[in-house]
Amino acid sequence: MVKLTIDGQELEFTEGTSLFDACREARGEALPHFCYHPDLPIAGVCRLCQVEIEGMPKLTIACNTTVRDGMVVFTRNERVRKAAQQTLEMHLINHPVDCPICDQAGECGLQNQYMEYGLYESEVEKGDKVTKAKAQVIGPHVILDTERCVLCTRCVRFCDHVTGTGELGIFNRGDRAEVGIAPGKELNNNYSLNTVDICPVGALTSRDFRFKKRVWLLKSTQTICPGCATGCNIRVDHEADRIFRIKPRLNADVNGRWMCDFGRLEYRRVHAESRLDAPLLADGDRQREASWDQVWSRLDALGGKGLFVVSPWQTLEEMDLFKGLGGGNTVVSGPSESGRGDGDEILLSTDRTPNRKSLAWLGIDELAGDELAARARAADGVVVVYGGDPVGEVPAFAEAVAGKTLVYLGTHRNATSDAAQVVVPTSAWAERDGIFVNAKGRLQLIRRVVARPGEAREDWRFLADWQGRTDDQTQPAGLPELRRGVAERVAALNGQDLNTIGASGSAVAEADTGGDA
Amino acid sequence: MRTNGKQHGYGAEMNFRERLYVGEVFRGLWITIKHLVRNIFYMKDMPTVQYPEVKPQYSDRFRGRHRLMQRDDGSPRCVACMMCSTACPADCIHITAAEHPDPTIEKFPEKFDIDLLRCVYCGLCEEACPCDAIRMDTGIYEIVADSRDKFFVNKEFLLNDETNGTL
Repeated sequence: MVKLTIDGQELEFTEGTSLFDACREARGEALPHFCYHPDLPIAGVCRLCQVEIEGMPKLTIACNTTVRDGMVVFTRNERVRKAAQQTLEMHLINHPVDCPICDQAGECGLQNQYMEYGLYESEVEKGDKVTKAKAQVIGPHVILDTERCVLCTRCVRFCDHVTGTGELGIFNRGDRAEVGIAPGKELNNNYSLNTVDICPVGALTSRDFRFKKRVWLLKSTQTICPGCATGCNIRVDHEADRIFRIKPRLNADVNGRWMCDFGRLEYRRVHAESRLDAPLLADGDRQREASWDQVWSRLDALGGKGLFVVSPWQTLEEMDLFKGLGGGNTVVSGPSESGRGDGDEILLSTDRTPNRKSLAWLGIDELAGDELAARARAADGVVVVYGGDPVGEVPAFAEAVAGKTLVYLGTHRNATSDAAQVVVPTSAWAERDGIFVNAKGRLQLIRRVVARPGEAREDWRFLADWQGRTDDQTQPAGLPELRRGVAERVAALNGQDLNTIGASGSAVAEADTGGDA
Repeated sequence: MRTNGKQHGYGAEMNFRERLYVGEVFRGLWITIKHLVRNIFYMKDMPTVQYPEVKPQYSDRFRGRHRLMQRDDGSPRCVACMMCSTACPADCIHITAAEHPDPTIEKFPEKFDIDLLRCVYCGLCEEACPCDAIRMDTGIYEIVADSRDKFFVNKEFLLNDETNGTL
């Protein structure tokens, strides 16, 4: 441990702590900075975090200094303040100040720090500025505006050290220096939108989010990405029941500060044209919209034994309810081939479903396509498919269910919903609360972000209502009660209280459940 | 209020002259009579405006119906920064931004609608505008239409309208 004094406060830190982090703790807020990022190597290029250290003739940048015993540091005196102000002025010499058309406005490092350290009277004439290329498309998801760049090299370091792809670099010198894409390359790695997050100014902006919304109008909800079994912690930015973008949320145990582009653009499915928003009943060759009374009378009349198929896109609670609803019927999941893709070493998993682990925990067998079709063939009249698209993915399954009553509970129109006699619209990932279990067995909460379209039902309520019609047991009145029941039934949870899971999720002591990690 | 040094109002004692009423009635009418006489002899000084035959003259700073300013080529000066719609306390400005084919302009309003029935004419939009693109200097205060949806005016109308107020 080393003891040092920051702004008159005596504090202790472990050896090797960077002075930047020490100052953050002492001040309660970070020093002004552009280039420092906790998950990237130190560059020390922005010169904003200069502090005065007693005994040193000149100011020193805090990010590239480690704490030493007996250090006396000043971060708030006039000399330090002046240094930050002058450095910021340098950063702004060639900045276009086109905040009105910049998507970063509202969450911009330049704007925020200018409010505190700004000089307010610019010493540069507007016409003297060095102009550079604007709005360059440098990849499928990212737009580069070199004029706005402050050359902090965060994006360059990200591509060099996190993805290891090295697409970006700083070219030229002096006031002509600019971030650019390496010749013949494109910023097309699956993590490119993280460079937009870490860009402290509006130099890198997202093509998907471009001009869609001003950031100060957005509200944020903390939830979990449904894109793959990693279960990255995310923040969904939305307004008026529409999702505009997804940003990663810090969780050192799962995804750190990053997330992949694939998951980030998953939100588009929520607002897809093909969403089911009303219950449908087959009427001859066609399907027509029906009232809930008609749907219920159809479902009540089903009776008999059948096959219940649940997809790994449902939450733990929904799977548990569905299993209970299946009762004496066979409850399986499948086809096990669906929701697979290429993974990578960083975050993206080969399992592109968010909750396959829960299937194993609940003892629901995952069947391959052929086997699923065989079960469907053997089923007695009724096949209930909850999520996924087995009809579209397994031709044999489509044949097997042809003469039977197919009930589909799902969110999107697909081959299965088209083939079904009864279609019940359920909620998409961002329209309901629940628990996803990631590949490592971590329980994480998904939250309702936007309203459900049309007459779509909240999944667990619909399942509980249906069960209430088939047996006389009282159904859970709310999610907390339902979760208490799940905790009792699932051995793998080791008695974990599902109602105390916090925003960063909760890891469960791994028991051997045979799930694919 | 002039009290002539006496206590008036509820509970005040009235003297004999006041109890006669007649004098008091004419004393009360004195202000009216004074104006009547003055208006008869100096009719030009009367503040009444014969609206709608005669229109009142407002100050140049009067906030009338909005208009959108044009660039030299007639396209809107607005860059769709949403400052006005953010500042708007009545939430009456609805802008949809889009990519402009000219990279030096970059962003422009694909749609710019104002709901004139919601507008409270506070002028915060023109104050917030960084490009001087929206102004309320038309002087138009009569905003008339025969159906509600006509009060929902679009970009083309705000850019080019020459009418005097009837929508």
